[in-house]
Amino acid sequence: MHVTRRLFLTATAATLATPALLRHGLAQSAPIRVGSLTPLSGGGGPYGPEKAKAHKVVVDLVNANGGVLGRQIELIADNSETNPEVAVRAARKMIDADRVCAILGTWASSVTLAIMPLCQEANVVQIFTGSSDYLPNGDKKHLCYNLQPLNSAWAVALADLAVKRGFREVAFAGPKNDFASSMGESFSKSLNKAGGKIIGEPFYYNTNQVSYRAEAERLMAMKAPAVFIAGYVTDFTPIYRELIRGGYTGKIFTLSFAVGPDFKKAVGNAADGILHGSPVPPVGKDTYDAYLRLVGAKPNGQVQYPYGCAAYDEMNLLLLGIEASKSTDGPKIAEAIMKMANGPGESVSTFAEGAKAIAAGKGINYDGASSSVEFLPNGMLKSRDFALYEVQKGEDVPILTTTSVVE
Amino acid sequence: MDAYFVAILTIAGIYVILALALNLQFGLTGLINFGVVGFFGVGAYASAIATETLHLPFIGGLGVALLAGAVAGALISLLSLRLSGDFLAIVTLGFAETIRLVFNNEDWLTGGPRGFLISTRPVMQGLGRGEAAWAILGVILLAALVAFVILQRLAVTPYGRALRAIREDDLVPATLGKNVFLYRLQSFVIGSMFMAAAGSLYAHYVQTITPENFTTPVAILVWMSVVVGGAGNMVGTLVGALVVVTLYEGSRFLAPWLSFLDPEQVSALRFIIIGSVLILTIRFRPNGLLPEASRVPPAPAVPLTHPKG
Repeated sequence: MHVTRRLFLTATAATLATPALLRHGLAQSAPIRVGSLTPLSGGGGPYGPEKAKAHKVVVDLVNANGGVLGRQIELIADNSETNPEVAVRAARKMIDADRVCAILGTWASSVTLAIMPLCQEANVVQIFTGSSDYLPNGDKKHLCYNLQPLNSAWAVALADLAVKRGFREVAFAGPKNDFASSMGESFSKSLNKAGGKIIGEPFYYNTNQVSYRAEAERLMAMKAPAVFIAGYVTDFTPIYRELIRGGYTGKIFTLSFAVGPDFKKAVGNAADGILHGSPVPPVGKDTYDAYLRLVGAKPNGQVQYPYGCAAYDEMNLLLLGIEASKSTDGPKIAEAIMKMANGPGESVSTFAEGAKAIAAGKGINYDGASSSVEFLPNGMLKSRDFALYEVQKGEDVPILTTTSVVE
Repeated sequence: MDAYFVAILTIAGIYVILALALNLQFGLTGLINFGVVGFFGVGAYASAIATETLHLPFIGGLGVALLAGAVAGALISLLSLRLSGDFLAIVTLGFAETIRLVFNNEDWLTGGPRGFLISTRPVMQGLGRGEAAWAILGVILLAALVAFVILQRLAVTPYGRALRAIREDDLVPATLGKNVFLYRLQSFVIGSMFMAAAGSLYAHYVQTITPENFTTPVAILVWMSVVVGGAGNMVGTLVGALVVVTLYEGSRFLAPWLSFLDPEQVSALRFIIIGSVLILTIRFRPNGLLPEASRVPPAPAVPLTHPKG
C-alpha cells in the first residue's frame, strides 16, 4: 500500500486519539481505584498487615454486592516500609499511574506528612491513623481525615491519672521522633492544667541503640517520683530493664503498645506496677464485633487489631463518600465524608446500610468499629475511647475507660 | 501514566548522579564510601537551609550544597588520613549515622523529626502541575548529564589513570612520584560534592525532607547500581542505576498478577526479586553488566635481531 502523507497523518491522529476515546467510553464502567498504603515492614510492621487486610475485606464485600455507583473497586495495595522516602515513590505510582482517588492506611505521621503535598496537589483524599499534633497543618484543601486522636487527647488522660495517683511531679522521656516530641509538649501542658509539673526538660533519646544505660542513668539522676516514657516496645524494654537494675523505685507511666505481650515476656514480674494507657476500640460494641468477625477473629472482650478496626472505618468512610457524592473527585468525596461522619441522619455502620439510606434519600451518620467517627472541622477525630491500665501480676488490669473529647 | 514516568525518571536521574559520584570514589579510586547517604543528606539540608532560612534562590542553595559537600568530604578524608580500605568504610558509615542524628536532634536548624518544608523550586514559578514536573525532570537530567560528562572526562584522562593505578596498588604510583594522598583526597571531595548536589536537587524536588529520608537503604541502592552496572565504568554505572531503579519501581506493577498473595507477601516478593537479580549479576557477571574496559598492554615488540648465544 502506498502511504501518502494524508493517509499517514490520518492514521497517526486516529492512533493517538484511540486511548482518549477509549478512556471516555470506559470511564463509566471502569473500576474505581483506591490506594492502600500500609506499613507492612519497618517500625509499623506489627500493625500494617491488619490494616491492609481490613481494607481488602471491606472492598471484597462491597464488590461482591455490586460495587459502588455500579462500578467495582480496585484496591491498589503497597508497602510504605514505614519510610517517608519510599512512601513518596509508592504514592507517586498510585496517583500518577493508577489514578487513585484516595490513599488510605498510612500509619507513621512522618509518612502521612510526606505524601500530603502530593495528595493535595492531585486532589487525592487521605484517611489515616496518626497522632502528631502537626498533622492538620498541611491539609489546605480539607482532604484529610484522621481516625486516631491526636497526642493532646492522649496526654490529658495520662496527666489526670498521674495527678489522681498523687504524682504532681513527673519526668518525661521519649524517643526523638515527631510522635514523642509532640506528646512531650502536650503532656507538659496537660500536667500543668491538672496542677502538676514536668521535672526538668522533656528528655529525648535516639532509638536503635545497643545500650540505653546512659539514658536510664540520666532519668534516675532527675530523682523524679514518677516518669512518663512515651516509647515503643523496642526502646522501652531496654530502658525499663536498666531502670529496674539501677534500683529506680518511682512510678512508671507509658503507652499500652510499649507494654504488650512481648514486653511482659521479656521482663516477667518486674512489669508489675506500670501504669499505661492508649486509645482503644470500643470492646463489646456491636460495630467492633462485626469487624472482628469479618476478618475471622472472635470477639473475646479484649483489645484485638487496634489499627485494623480503624482501617475498616477508613475504607467504609471512603466508599460511602464516593456513593454519596456520586463522584470520584477528591474534594467532593471529602465533603461528603464530613457530612456522613458527623450526621445528622440514620445511624449506619456498614457500606451496604449506608448505600441503602443514600438511595432512599436519607441523611446518614456513620458509626464505626474504632469509634463513633465524629470529626472536627480540620478532619481530626473528635473523640475516641481511651483506656488506662495497671500491670498487676503480669496482667493488664483496667483502671478506667474514658472517652477523650477534644474541644 | 506520563506523570508517573516523569516522576520515576526524575528519581532515576538523582540516583544516576549518586551512582556516578560513588563510581569515581569506589570504581576508579577504590575508596569504600558507605556513607553516600550522609553526603546526600548534607547537600539536601544545606540547600534547604540556604533557600528557606537564608532566602537564597535555588542556584544559591545548590552552591551552598556543593560547598557543604566539599567541606564534609574533606573533613572525613582528613579524619581517616590514609583513606584506605576498612578504615574509610567504617568512618564513612559512622559519618552517615552521626549526621542523621544531627538532622534529627538539632530542631532549631533542621526542623528535627518533623521535617523541613521547602518551597523553593528549581524551576520558575507559576507553572502548572504537569509543566513543573517536566521542567524539574529537565533540570535533573541536565544535572545528570553534566555529572556524566565531567566524571567521564576525568575517568579517561591521565588523571583517571592515576586514580586507577592507586586503586590497584598505591605503591606503584607513589614510586612514580604521584602524591597518592592528594589524589585520594581530590577524588573523595569531588565525589562528595556531586552527592551533595544530588541531595540539593532531591530536596527541592520532594519539598519535604526528614532525617528518615537519609537512612542506609538509600546508600545500598546506590552501591547496587555501581556493582550491577560495572564499577570503574561510567556508562556501566549509568546503566546500573537505571536498571536498579527500574527493578525497584517496575516490580510494583507485578501486584495485579499476584492477587493470590497478601500485600505483605507481594512486598516481600519484590525484595526477593531485587536481591536475586543482584546475586545473579554477581554470579554471572562479576564485573557488572558493562565491566570496566581492561587495557591489555601491547605485546612487546619482536626483537629485530635474535640475541646470539
